Amino acid sequence: MDITPQNVSEGLRHAAYITNQRVETAIFLALALDKPLLIEGPAGSGKTEVAKVIAAMLATELIRLQCYEGLDEARALYEWNYQKQLLRLQADEHRGLRWEDVSEHLFSRDYLLERPLLRAILAPRRVVLLIDEVDKADEEFEAFLLELLSDFQVSIPELGTIAARERPCVVLTSNRARELSEALRRRCLHLFIDFPSTEQERRIIELKVPELDALLAEQAARLVGALRKAGLKKAPSIAETLDWARALVRLGVRELDTPAVRSTLGLLLKHEDDRAKIESKVASLIPHPRSR
Amino acid sequence: MIPMREQLLRFVDELRGAGVRISVAETLDAMRAVAAAGFERGPMREALAASLIKDEADRPIFDRTYAQFFGRSRATEPRLPERRSGARASSGGAPHSAAGLAVRPVPEPEPSMQKPGRKPPAQKAGQTGEHDEPRAEAEAESAGIEGEGEHQAATGTEGIRMAGLAAVERAPFEQYSDFDYETARDSLAILVRRLRVRVGRRLRMARRGRVDFRRTIRAAIQHGGALIDLRFRARRPRHVDLLILADISGSVRYAATLMLELVAGVHESFRRVHSFVFIDHLAEAGFEHGHLVMTPALDPYARSDFGRVLSELREQHGELLGPATLVIIMGDGRNNRRPARADMLADIAHRCRAVYWLNPEAPARWGTGDSAINQYARHVTALVPSQTLRELEHALLEVV
Repeated sequence: MDITPQNVSEGLRHAAYITNQRVETAIFLALALDKPLLIEGPAGSGKTEVAKVIAAMLATELIRLQCYEGLDEARALYEWNYQKQLLRLQADEHRGLRWEDVSEHLFSRDYLLERPLLRAILAPRRVVLLIDEVDKADEEFEAFLLELLSDFQVSIPELGTIAARERPCVVLTSNRARELSEALRRRCLHLFIDFPSTEQERRIIELKVPELDALLAEQAARLVGALRKAGLKKAPSIAETLDWARALVRLGVRELDTPAVRSTLGLLLKHEDDRAKIESKVASLIPHPRSR
Repeated sequence: MIPMREQLLRFVDELRGAGVRISVAETLDAMRAVAAAGFERGPMREALAASLIKDEADRPIFDRTYAQFFGRSRATEPRLPERRSGARASSGGAPHSAAGLAVRPVPEPEPSMQKPGRKPPAQKAGQTGEHDEPRAEAEAESAGIEGEGEHQAATGTEGIRMAGLAAVERAPFEQYSDFDYETARDSLAILVRRLRVRVGRRLRMARRGRVDFRRTIRAAIQHGGALIDLRFRARRPRHVDLLILADISGSVRYAATLMLELVAGVHESFRRVHSFVFIDHLAEAGFEHGHLVMTPALDPYARSDFGRVLSELREQHGELLGPATLVIIMGDGRNNRRPARADMLADIAHRCRAVYWLNPEAPARWGTGDSAINQYARHVTALVPSQTLRELEHALLEVV
């Protein structure tokens, strides 16, 4: 696929991803300029989804590295499979081989555990590398990542330097558990994904849950929009909106009234405090159906 | 006409002038981005934003600057140069030539120039049917920029919140309005999470202590069995009791309550946490449903008396002051010329593990007027400035 704005826009539509100019341009640039894309935004606004959609658009593999505290190179890049190496050593023991003979085998690709970053480098074609929740990783790891992102090569002492044949398309997401370094920000293109507008959300619902009545979908989108502005501990995500829409379909809800909303509120609000806060106000939050 | 490159450089200058930090590499990225995305209004703006704005809090600045800069120059730069020169000819002595507008992106004082939607005077003069069309188009285009900006502002609730937080984080507590305080409280959860992660991580990332044999051996295998990398057992939660003493009199009230709430968020890193608030008397403090509750209630119109409070603490709660106790005092040390009783603080410091004093006042004013801070400073482990939410966060990180 040629990387042009039109093609990207087309590809996104094809991958059933409803979005806006901002997201489209950012994705296009990440591909066209070969730069990592750093995505920030509230939880549940579809950050991770962007990587999946790019992979679908390029018809390529998505390699995901989930970051967490204490994540180190061994888990992110590569590690020697020491159990296997030990077995090999034990098997070789009685044959009276010298260390030089054995070590050559022991440190070959057969005993290498490829972790996501190495897999992305070794991939024969351009893949999408998703580094999810990079803010959860330690600062040391971030520094290591910076180095890797700049030239996409690793040196494994026993094997030599391996460079990526095709630079992967890199997507990083962050929830701001900690401030990312300026250096990382500088190297990436930045995209902030907010919750969708009511109109966008309605289109998402109609696309993903076509069984839901159009008027209901519109009301549902507006209700969710109102909930997100209600100052909750955890605002409902897009995925939760869709779950809720599916539940409405399954329950055969024809009209969005107080009992219907109240009985399904658990799908949208996952905190007891939030529920208590909203439950009494449900009637006032339900929007009137807008005839279209 | 000035080349696009030059215009972009000036635009970056404008952004820098408005307080956005932009590196040379990012400027180059922006040029490549625009070259790739094209000069159409929507893509170009987003291309610039993606490559120049790395923090959503800066986005409103970007939108404003963009509208001022490109809204005007692009509106007066239609693709039909011969018509433009026609307009110039008929306008005669108008102050700006249309071509001049196109290359002068710096904001100008003239009010009609600042609103992209309004017609520049140079064009007003030459109104003929022939000129109407491109001008209407240009106007629609520039109006669209503003309209779109408003639209985004209306939908991006989270973006607005982050911008609000970013501003409030850097504002001194002393200048807080009630609204600022609410914004800060709104985002306190983010700060608490950040603090908890950092404190927790520090406890876990042990660099000395007992060797974790299993993990060390495992790491050694990668180096052919040489014990290069020592791994350590996670430190156990420290046996530290935290004692907080916060002045909640008018001037420092916001700083104190925000600190109490922040500390409440990391209480599990400590064996015990005792919170006290005071004005001229001591009261125990707790949080119920996010509201500060104190027993007994304090007279909000009283005036701070650090000396009395320190001796009250020593007499009534002496059992809390031991070698495992970390004391954090928050206050400006303005004692209303009452006895400072620094000897009380000296005694507390002597008995406890450490005493940190966080001062929400600007350092330049420390020790002026009725401030007894210098007398207290002699006896504390450290006196840390905590003028803003951000400083407070750093101070707590240093202390706990």
